[in-house]
Amino acid sequence: MTQMLSPTSIAASRPVTEEAKLEVRGLNFFYDRTRALKDISLSLPAKSVTAFIGPSGCGKSTLLRVFNRIYELYPKQRAEGEVLLDGRNILDKGQDLNLLRAQVGMVFQKPTPFPMTIYENIAFGIRLYEKLPRSEVDGRVEEALKRAALWTEVKDKLNASGLSLSGGQQQRLCIARTVAVKPEVILLDEPASALDPLSTAKIEELIDELQTDYTIVIVTHNMQQAARVSARTAFMYLGELIEFGDTEEIFTSPHDKRTQDYITGRFG
Amino acid sequence: MTITAEAANSSSLAANIRAAAVRRFALTDSVFQTLTRLSAALVLVLLGGVAISLVAGAWPALSHFGWAFLVTESWNPVTEKFGALAPIYGTLVTSLIAIVIAVPIGIGIAVFLTELCPRSLRRPIGIAVELLAGIPSIIYGIWGLFVFAPFLQVHLQPFIIKLFHGVPGLSSLFSGPPYGIGLMTSGLILAIMVLPFITSITKDVFDTVPPVLKESAYGIGCTTWEVTRRVVIPYTRVGIMGGVMLGLGRALGETMAVTFVIGNAHRISASLFAPGTTISASIANEFTEADGELYTSSLVALGLILFVITFLILAASRFMLMRIERRAGS
Repeated sequence: MTQMLSPTSIAASRPVTEEAKLEVRGLNFFYDRTRALKDISLSLPAKSVTAFIGPSGCGKSTLLRVFNRIYELYPKQRAEGEVLLDGRNILDKGQDLNLLRAQVGMVFQKPTPFPMTIYENIAFGIRLYEKLPRSEVDGRVEEALKRAALWTEVKDKLNASGLSLSGGQQQRLCIARTVAVKPEVILLDEPASALDPLSTAKIEELIDELQTDYTIVIVTHNMQQAARVSARTAFMYLGELIEFGDTEEIFTSPHDKRTQDYITGRFG
Repeated sequence: MTITAEAANSSSLAANIRAAAVRRFALTDSVFQTLTRLSAALVLVLLGGVAISLVAGAWPALSHFGWAFLVTESWNPVTEKFGALAPIYGTLVTSLIAIVIAVPIGIGIAVFLTELCPRSLRRPIGIAVELLAGIPSIIYGIWGLFVFAPFLQVHLQPFIIKLFHGVPGLSSLFSGPPYGIGLMTSGLILAIMVLPFITSITKDVFDTVPPVLKESAYGIGCTTWEVTRRVVIPYTRVGIMGGVMLGLGRALGETMAVTFVIGNAHRISASLFAPGTTISASIANEFTEADGELYTSSLVALGLILFVITFLILAASRFMLMRIERRAGS
């Protein structure tokens, strides 16, 4: 299904960057005149979870928002540099934004169900790109809800409003909605910070399962969470990428003193 | 001994002062409470007073003609046979035309202003829309009569009549000699007049949509059109409905501008280009020449009908909103 979204992803098996799904090269980001990201370069491996950590205002969410160019909704925000998705620069002028956002899905801090039924919340995104018969849409909705571990809880009330669900359920609905479009990359912007511990645990389980099929990037304030769910971790501070490597290494033997200070709770 | 007495004294003094202050507060509080309660009650009294005096004034006509008053088309001051059907029809049709035209355009302007417009243009266009609301209706009236109607008569109406000639249904809707004035012209003028209300309320409620909700819709690859239609409008439907109702209320009751361009003919024609009348235009046109109790009373009865129509439409929209809300479960 994803092939019909992006012809170029068929050629994804390029040998150049050992399975790097996203590669950032010399990225700078500006809010008007303020430089929020400074020369970021990093490469995210496919089908694994990468966590961005760092104190508030360090630019981790900003970096995430570059990957689907959602920042373009706002004037005076701009990115310079290169972000390669399967070797193709998504910051190119010619990049189709709707297509990009179908390939790179995003889940936000607060659950944002659309003002429609649970079923429609998911079917909506599917129908944007694919003209499918009703029965097939039904199947895709069920599949997406199962992937988001929500199916058993909502299968009897698919016609209820998405807003009638609890916060944790709403967030899983948003993940299901993102998964239903069949993206290649999923961006999670503090997906559990507004949820109770039980819902958080469910979301984390979900992330663990989803990484078999998707490249996942998660921004989190919760360092235990980063340690639990991610394979690699990037620590950012004041718009700079301080350290990037295997999660275990970052949390047990960081090279940079600032990383060490942050993960031991001395600031941030 | 004296020291303790003094201390007790001063503390009781402080307590007295405090008690006085509390009494004063209680007094101002109750005065304030009474005032607000009276103000609220005043609304009910006014509404009730208007309703009662309308019913009392309309009673001679209503008791004379009975329910037939509502469904009789003829309006003959000479034989004193009065029926309200033509003005009711004209009122509903002109308002309907106005809403059908103004709602999509108003929502379109609001979408442009909130989603697409370059920041530097937002304020000028917003202010222009609000200025449109500030134009007195008499100006719309003379402009409609001397500029707009002749323009329609010469350029637009002959074209449309020719265009739909022979098309079943539409040909009778747009037929007859192009008078310039008539139901369609009134509807168009009303559309212009209610546009700013609908636009500015819609724009305000669009601004209340949380950015993150829009982001997540854009985030699954929606276009601006899809975000607007599937997320922004459903999210703000209550507010939009409010704007539409405000506009409709204005259109139903608008007198001066309509009186100029409606043509003031007490009949119902199939064609929208034919002259007609509305409730408020009839009242405004004929009050000075209404001699005889039945004539005057019939005009008051028209007013009562307008009152009831407005009330019913308001109630219907409330009911509709409640049903939508329940279905969406929000």
